[in-house]
Amino acid sequence: MTQLLRRVLLSDYFVLGLSLLYVAAVAPFTPGFVSAENFTNILSALLPLLVVALGQTIVLITGGIDLSVTAVIGLSSIVGAMAMNHETGWLAQSPIAAPAGVMIMLLVGASVGALNGIAVAIARMPAFMVTLASMMGFSGLAVWLTHAKTINALPSGFTMLGGHTMITLAIVLVVGICVHVFLRRSLWGRWLYAVGHNSRASHISGVPVGGITFFAYVASGLLAAMASVLYTGQTETGSPVLGQNILLDVIGATVIGGTSLFGGKGKVVWTLFGVLFLKLVDNSLNLLNLSIFAITIAKGAVILLAAYLDSLRNRFVAA
Amino acid sequence: MNAALQFEGIDKSFGNVPVLRDVSFTVGAGRTLGLVGENGAGKSTLMNILGGNLRSDAGKMVLEDRPYEPAHPKDASRAGVAFIHQELNLFTNLSIAENLFVTGLPRTAGFLINRHSLHQRAAKLLEQVGLDLRPETKVENLSLGERQLVEIARALSFDARLIIFDEPTTSLSVRETEVLFSLMARLHDRGISMIYISHILEHVRRRCDDIVILRDGQVVGEGEAIEFSTARLVSLMVGREMNQLYPTRKKAAASTPALEVERVNEPGIVRDISFTLHHGEVLGIAGLMGAGRSELARILFGLDRYSSGEIRANGKPLIRSGPRQRIKHGMAFLTEDRRHEGLCLDASIADNLMLVALRDYTRSPLRLVQSGRCRQSIDRLREEVLLSPRAHDKQPAKTLSGGNQQKVVLAKWLLARPSVLILDEPTRGVDVGAKFELYRIILELADAGTAVLVISSEIEELTGICDRILVMSQGKVHAELNRDKFDRERLLAAALPREART
Amino acid sequence: MRRRALYFALRQAPALLFVAVAAILSILSPKFFSLSNALNLVVQSAPIAVVAVGMTFVLLTAGVDLSVGAIMFAGGALAAKLLLAGHSVALALLVMVGCGVFMGVINGFLIVRARLAPFIVTLAMLFVWRGFALWVTETRAMNLPDWFIQFGTARLVGVPVPVVVFASVFFLAHMALTRTPFGRQLYAIGNNVENARKAGLPLNWLLFAVYAISGLCAAIGGILALTQLGSVSPKFGENYEFKAIAAAVLGGTSLFGGRGAVWPGTLLGVLLIQMLESGLVMLNADPYLYPIVTAAVILFAVLLDTSRQAILEQRSRRRIYHDAERT
Repeated sequence: MTQLLRRVLLSDYFVLGLSLLYVAAVAPFTPGFVSAENFTNILSALLPLLVVALGQTIVLITGGIDLSVTAVIGLSSIVGAMAMNHETGWLAQSPIAAPAGVMIMLLVGASVGALNGIAVAIARMPAFMVTLASMMGFSGLAVWLTHAKTINALPSGFTMLGGHTMITLAIVLVVGICVHVFLRRSLWGRWLYAVGHNSRASHISGVPVGGITFFAYVASGLLAAMASVLYTGQTETGSPVLGQNILLDVIGATVIGGTSLFGGKGKVVWTLFGVLFLKLVDNSLNLLNLSIFAITIAKGAVILLAAYLDSLRNRFVAA
Repeated sequence: MNAALQFEGIDKSFGNVPVLRDVSFTVGAGRTLGLVGENGAGKSTLMNILGGNLRSDAGKMVLEDRPYEPAHPKDASRAGVAFIHQELNLFTNLSIAENLFVTGLPRTAGFLINRHSLHQRAAKLLEQVGLDLRPETKVENLSLGERQLVEIARALSFDARLIIFDEPTTSLSVRETEVLFSLMARLHDRGISMIYISHILEHVRRRCDDIVILRDGQVVGEGEAIEFSTARLVSLMVGREMNQLYPTRKKAAASTPALEVERVNEPGIVRDISFTLHHGEVLGIAGLMGAGRSELARILFGLDRYSSGEIRANGKPLIRSGPRQRIKHGMAFLTEDRRHEGLCLDASIADNLMLVALRDYTRSPLRLVQSGRCRQSIDRLREEVLLSPRAHDKQPAKTLSGGNQQKVVLAKWLLARPSVLILDEPTRGVDVGAKFELYRIILELADAGTAVLVISSEIEELTGICDRILVMSQGKVHAELNRDKFDRERLLAAALPREART
Repeated sequence: MRRRALYFALRQAPALLFVAVAAILSILSPKFFSLSNALNLVVQSAPIAVVAVGMTFVLLTAGVDLSVGAIMFAGGALAAKLLLAGHSVALALLVMVGCGVFMGVINGFLIVRARLAPFIVTLAMLFVWRGFALWVTETRAMNLPDWFIQFGTARLVGVPVPVVVFASVFFLAHMALTRTPFGRQLYAIGNNVENARKAGLPLNWLLFAVYAISGLCAAIGGILALTQLGSVSPKFGENYEFKAIAAAVLGGTSLFGGRGAVWPGTLLGVLLIQMLESGLVMLNADPYLYPIVTAAVILFAVLLDTSRQAILEQRSRRRIYHDAERT
């Protein structure tokens, strides 16, 4: 019996099972929850969040944290929109507006990530404070750029990326598989875990600890910018406050999945299931026509529950 | 004989694995009992039961004629049982006095700490352990030896009548060890009972009245210390005759230099270090704690900087710092701090084994790891270092015993096929059986042409396996002895700092 | 000699940064360097200061409390509801303080009893209490009666009430941390939890107390903020957790526990942040630039702190021999 419980608790698919259980439990009371249309809704809400959470997973594996992802989403959204809108954009009406705009947005994300990376990896500053400051700074910068105005009139070639669920799905699938292969099979992926487990021992063993850490923040910034492309496409609006409220969702979902805040542990599928679970809860509460306060409270309760289960799991491992 | 503490028929299993089987012995009142055994013999489990961290499955303990069943470490200290661990339990950010009375800080009428009374009481305790420091000194400013004395003062502060010393000398210099021993003698005279646990059998024989030997969770020998020779202790601990602790060399060293060090200086750390390490040679560095041996090793491996001098590996000068370049030039470094610098404790055995050489197990251009080749190498390595076959590749490294952990660290370096191997205290915290296996591996490597530099505080060990020994003191090489000139006295004399020599 | 000056500068980094920013602002704006402005600064920073004191207690035990802003909001919402319903001020304030302690105790319970990571627990409670407060306020701003705001400008023996509260909280916290067994034991926990457990310190009780104190401070800070703002809006208390952490860390408190102090550390951190903001206001800077400048200064302070620690560590490296011995 305890053996069985152990296997269930420690399985990679634990959170997926939890999600399915949740669906089964809530479906009877929630009209329209189990329907193709609603699942498409859940999917389109889940995909961009998953991309950000994957970046967060990479950083958490090294034992760091990236609080600046929401600022990256807002900043690259507004910069991208400034570059490619039909009216005042630098690339207005240009045939390459969409691809160039995407490149610019990714570049913004990578640059913010690089700054975080330099501060954490080279100046050895604590990740929490660095990314906290860059969250404040870069979201301030994003708002300052347009003095809090949003920008519409984006090229359709661009909005399609995030607006068309199937295209988004294809993009996220490719990204997810790449990150998965990177983490499981590649040299740098394995080194990420080593750095998270023990950076001193890794350094002495010849692992380029600084480079790996730097890379993790760049990857997180890049993936956040990619999510910004999807979110901006979804809303067809460049906004400096885009994604402002998802920071706790990102970290919550990643940790629910089972990635440790102390480094050395994390997987793509874990994060996928964590995001899925969070979005299922979100969506079902919305369908129940609950007010915003109930949704907020339920989210808190879900994070707590997940943390409690995780601590149970850890105690099982220890026993 | 009056008994301070009696163990009666203690049994303990973890899962289905019995760790202690019917352990019974007595610590005489006012006597010092040496407890020896290999790692995994059950010493720490027994001490954890005594300290209230674990409960025994069967059997009982009697402390000064009263049944003693500690459920929590607090119960142990309340009953007058104190532990001095090898990893010290002090709070480095507090003062000595605050550490001594952290659970019962004296107060004035209100909530505030009565600093006057605190410092007075602390000063009294410091005097008892012979520590000449102000009570308000922060512990982070103390040396390891001083911290240990503070810890003993803490034990005295709650009237400990039984003090357990668990490997107390591991990180102490010779002089600090002597200070500790003379304090133990004074405690002995005051009638305090002690249990002394150590791998250094000479110390146990010298310091203890009685000795108990544990093997595989059972008492396999007990009696007065004078009845045991070191050889007999070893054979009881290991369970077979160990007539030869050190394996023999099969080949002599070559004359081609592997590592050349020329006039390496770093102000305040090392001065004018020059030596040449040849292929197939085992070169020892002896010296006291704090003589600069580990610091020299860190400089050689590029972890710390040096201000002048030259280091060449296989004839090529090492210019850039950092371990990566050293590894490329065929160097390997097993550090003295296994838990913090050697292993990723939570990572699997397999991941630890692959850490250094993983780069060579990838396929370009995506640099994907070739897991098949990895598995083959891991299997081969495990055989090479005789890693415990019970351990699974996916198991976290922290679940291994000290000896097996050290084998993992050594094995991960061997995978990179180093030509220069630097070992800093390779057998610290390793039991006798595993020690022998480590020596065998080291000497086989040397026979195969690897140049080995061994740093050790155990002179026996150095004279047992080295071809040549350098003696360091105060950051400088003071003597060099070839194998035919090895002499314990001369080594010790050269190791002593100048002001101590007359 | 130059080395010694450097070490002195490094050890006093927060204070020097404070003086430097004050000097620059004084040069740029003549109005800045005046008693009335200084008093203003203290009054304005009082809410964040009190919250940051509670946060310092939590950080010293190597924990973190992300729920302080939500506690301010939840307590404030209840208090406003009571006030608007015509209940007495005393009752409203009592309820708010009680709420703060109660919510802190819940954090403590989940961390101590359920053994969950403080980061996660307080993150979850941030959601819970924000949701609760949104429910209480029905996601609308609630304006408080004018006479309530006058508390913020009232004076006690010539000193503004917020300053009195500010000073008493700092004094009590400083005494508690440096002069009581409780305070010293908090430092011990932050230094090494395992050792604290082995030494038999009342770990659970201490952690409970720490989160209760943080909740209490959040509630008091909330009251001070209410008297300044005069209303409870859905954004009330937002980002206070980050500002409080930033202030404590700017003052030299470590995120990893066991190191730091409210006096002078957290005080300097709080005043530094507030000084920047009011300085920028005086200079008529673009308000959109405030967060950017503040972030830059925080980053700079953290950089200073990091390099200070690295250099001090380098210096405390054990020396094998001393130059005098070289003969």
